[in-house]
Amino acid sequence: MIRVENLHKRFGNVNAVDGVSFTAADGSVTGLLGPNGAGKTTTLRMLYTLMRPDDGRILVDEVDAVADPEGARRQLGVLPDQSGLYPRLTAREHIHYFGELQGITGRDLADRTNDLVKMLDMTDIVDRRVAGYSHGERTKTALARAIVHNPRNVLLDEPTNGLDVMSTRAVRDIIRRLKAEGHMVLFSSHVMQEVSALCDTIIVIARGRIVASGSPDDLRAQTGHQNLEDAFVTLTGLGEVTSS
Amino acid sequence: MTNRTLAQALVVFRKELRDWSRDRRSILTAVIGTLFGPLFVAFMFNTLASRQRQVEDVKVPIVGIEHAPALVDWLRQQPGIEIVAGPADPEDAVRTRQEDVVVVIPKEFAERFKASKPAIVRIVADSSSQSTRPKQQRVRGLFQRYNAEIGSLRLMARGVSPVVATPLGIEEVEVSSAQQRAAQILSFIPLFIMMAAFMGAMQIATDSTAGERERGSLEALLVNPAPRSAIATGKWLAGTATSMASVVISGGLLLVIFQSIPLQDLGFRFRLGTPHLVGTLAAVLPLCPFIVAVQMYVATFAKSFKEAQSYLSLLMMVQMLPGFLATMYPITSQNWMYFVPWVGQQVMMTDVLGGKPPTAIVFAAGAVMSMALAAIAVRGTTALLHRERIIFGR
Repeated sequence: MIRVENLHKRFGNVNAVDGVSFTAADGSVTGLLGPNGAGKTTTLRMLYTLMRPDDGRILVDEVDAVADPEGARRQLGVLPDQSGLYPRLTAREHIHYFGELQGITGRDLADRTNDLVKMLDMTDIVDRRVAGYSHGERTKTALARAIVHNPRNVLLDEPTNGLDVMSTRAVRDIIRRLKAEGHMVLFSSHVMQEVSALCDTIIVIARGRIVASGSPDDLRAQTGHQNLEDAFVTLTGLGEVTSS
Repeated sequence: MTNRTLAQALVVFRKELRDWSRDRRSILTAVIGTLFGPLFVAFMFNTLASRQRQVEDVKVPIVGIEHAPALVDWLRQQPGIEIVAGPADPEDAVRTRQEDVVVVIPKEFAERFKASKPAIVRIVADSSSQSTRPKQQRVRGLFQRYNAEIGSLRLMARGVSPVVATPLGIEEVEVSSAQQRAAQILSFIPLFIMMAAFMGAMQIATDSTAGERERGSLEALLVNPAPRSAIATGKWLAGTATSMASVVISGGLLLVIFQSIPLQDLGFRFRLGTPHLVGTLAAVLPLCPFIVAVQMYVATFAKSFKEAQSYLSLLMMVQMLPGFLATMYPITSQNWMYFVPWVGQQVMMTDVLGGKPPTAIVFAAGAVMSMALAAIAVRGTTALLHRERIIFGR
């Protein structure tokens, strides 16, 4: 579980994140929805402790992420904004590298790696060097190494961005599976359909502030739009809704 | 550092070495850095040796052998001299480098010789050609000796002691140019060893810092629950390993080369053997961690591999300076120099190669100094890895 209270981050004169508070529960999928530049990535970066908030509190399973970032990271699996790989290593070596950094070794690591490879349908490519991978294969590799230690809380920054249909489905399957296993999943997206298809809770964020949150049905009710996309446009103040 | 942190550092260490060993570019850089010195030394000594042979066995082309049979006979009796018929156009042959030197004896030689007038012997040579100069000198020397011998005989025939005609007894102390060049080559060795250390470190130092930023893999790496110090330490250890390997291989090859060159035959008084190698390694290996740590610190500021390499080539030039200065102005080593990393190691190596190794305390002090500074630089890199501008700035 992750609890965020009154999070602030400024870059120069810009309030990138301006008083964000929410709770993301275990066994549920929470979507951070917002247009580009709304503050999604900055919020996530503070959650996975690589960025320090100017103000506010973050609790990851009761660990204060600002006071004990390393302790918080131990409870987290993260697919960050930049998920670059090492072109000369294979996918298996990527998974092993992060697994060993998490303290998993030997038989456990080998078994866990094989499970992930099967889960993500990577058997054919796992022992090839990453240099020749497609975008989807890269994302799968990055995702596999992010959750090699079976973390309670999973943060994904735009996991399906730029993926083809099959890879997108694989990522969605993983998210559903993690939820079913009782994990907390929080992911960001600017794609309405994706969020509505997966999320129990949607947090709509614009200009660093939360403009609405709740289940997809709640959001429809709040805005009076049957179409979630219209609801999204209304909530973020991006423009007038002419249809519906 | 806790056990867990150390274990994590070792995980990073292994990964970086594996990654490095698969990079053709990095292997190439390391090989060039490692082999440059030994190959250069081998080439230089080979050149020296062939010049030496040039002077020992000289083939002298003479045009007009028939005009001075006595002179030519005398020349033939000189050790290492072979007389051959000269080319039709001596000046052209020398100008086009077909011949190093050609001797021309004109028709009127015998006539003038008999009349005790100076008989002309023309030596055609190109004095701008460095490589043939020893041979020219040898030939010139031959004729001067013949000149002196005949002169003395003529004086004696006239009842005058030849000593009268030699008011000066000139003694030359031969400091052969070969010896000097050998000393020069030796003074380059510390430079080569340092270069091996530097270039052996460079690839991991840049790839694991700026390269990690360029690929966008740093963010994901730092999300792991490993302290930044473990990550920086692992990378530093990996760079240190390749740097040290490079130094050991380079030094070992130099030793092999020096033992296979017949230095004594070339007239050199020095010998280089295992003690010199051990001394050199003892001086330089403790410096490797420092070199890597500084390179890593500098490269972490760079957003890309290329940017890092341009920073490091500047660093390399700065680091080369003391070595170059030392080869140009052989200064006497001052005590404080031993404790300045990079400079100290060069002074120590110069001492070792000169057969006057410094005491163990000096070695230890140099090692402690560079390890301490290395630790500071690694801490600096660790601090950089906390900066948001470094982690996210692409």
